[in-house]
Amino acid sequence: MKKLYLLFFAISSFWACSSNSAPSNETENQMATASAIPEEASIVKVDDDIINDILQSIPSPLEISLLIKEVGSYYNKADLNDHNKVSSYSTNFDKALNLGIYGTDLGYSNIYNKNQDALNYLNSVQNLAEGLTIGQFFDYATLKSLAESADQNLDALLRTTTANFEKINYHLRQQKREHLSILLLTGGWVEALYLTTLVHQRTNNEVLREKIGEQKIVLDRILLVLEVYKTRNGFAELIADLKKLQAIYDQIEIETVYEEPTMVEKDGVLVVVDNTKSVVNITDRDIDTITSLTKSIRNKIIN
Amino acid sequence: MKKLIFLIGFLFSSFLFTLTASAQCNSELYVNKSMKSLESGFQYSKSYRIDGRGGNRRKVEYTCVFSKDTNYQIRITGKDGGAQGLIGTLYDSKRNELVSSFYNNKFLEGWTFKCRATGIYYLSFTFKNSKSYCGAAVLAFRR
Repeated sequence: MKKLYLLFFAISSFWACSSNSAPSNETENQMATASAIPEEASIVKVDDDIINDILQSIPSPLEISLLIKEVGSYYNKADLNDHNKVSSYSTNFDKALNLGIYGTDLGYSNIYNKNQDALNYLNSVQNLAEGLTIGQFFDYATLKSLAESADQNLDALLRTTTANFEKINYHLRQQKREHLSILLLTGGWVEALYLTTLVHQRTNNEVLREKIGEQKIVLDRILLVLEVYKTRNGFAELIADLKKLQAIYDQIEIETVYEEPTMVEKDGVLVVVDNTKSVVNITDRDIDTITSLTKSIRNKIIN
Repeated sequence: MKKLIFLIGFLFSSFLFTLTASAQCNSELYVNKSMKSLESGFQYSKSYRIDGRGGNRRKVEYTCVFSKDTNYQIRITGKDGGAQGLIGTLYDSKRNELVSSFYNNKFLEGWTFKCRATGIYYLSFTFKNSKSYCGAAVLAFRR
């Protein structure tokens, strides 16, 4: 009987503890602080929630790819990574980084309606995803059929591609393989930045120039997560390369002047106009150094 | 003695039921629904799972990096139907509230934010009179 009472007490206590297991406001505040002040977060123990939040915050490379097309740049196949190189990526480190590179190239070729190139990149992506045992989360058949269809629905194709990469990242995090997720995102980001610098060299476009400067924020966040895995194979060299880039970005200022937003509700749709303005202060020399450093980092990744 | 065994059994089943109820939020379902309500011309970018773990979690927050001269659209859908019970609020890096989908006492399905300053933003999802504490939101962009 005594034992039964003890059991009863143990179960009640366990139940009581479980009900309070949701993250507290403190944890949320910690996440917000870590996101806002990268330098501090790198010296404290970073938990999974913070890492996931940072990974989730990294913008889709598609934003940059669409911008590049919008400024009127032509498509140059030679700008992208050779899809045939896929077989030379043998370690998980190289596979994950180049999965990101090919992911950006896939989106880029899709935007320009280059069906055959897109199919080639799709095959490379599928190959690397299978190599990382996450191929099952990549809907190759649907993407292939969308890319091949004569009346190519670009919106559906881009949406499905983005959703598939999101699924891959989600499952890598679920499997506690965040180190591969950050490599994938880093590869995608490096390729998008590389393409932006290439097109900027050709066009000297002001919007692209500012876009290059804005990447300061993304690079800080990427490095914050990479640092967590600095003892893993390959990470130290990648971090050192990206830190050289960060040293240049540290000289770039993004000035922000806050103003109250303006709000309009029309037919149940709320539209908010941000009246805060930001300006990126970046010199020609900064742009040149970022362009050459990005090229060398990207070449190291793909070769 | 029999009563005590019954009580323990009851407590165990209730505990298991609570765990199951909390784990029953299949956000994926609502991602697809939210995606369908995006305005044409907006390009899908990310999805956000909103799982309040049966009411144990009062806020689900995500950090975003938004770019100037880009329009961002959020669409929210939940288990209670439409955006019922779910509120999506955007804050800037200094925690100034910029927009909330709970407007004039109504749960709107989302909002469009015309961003003019590149930086860090916080996308916070909270619950109000929610029955399920479960849903998802999607983010899309247009230049």
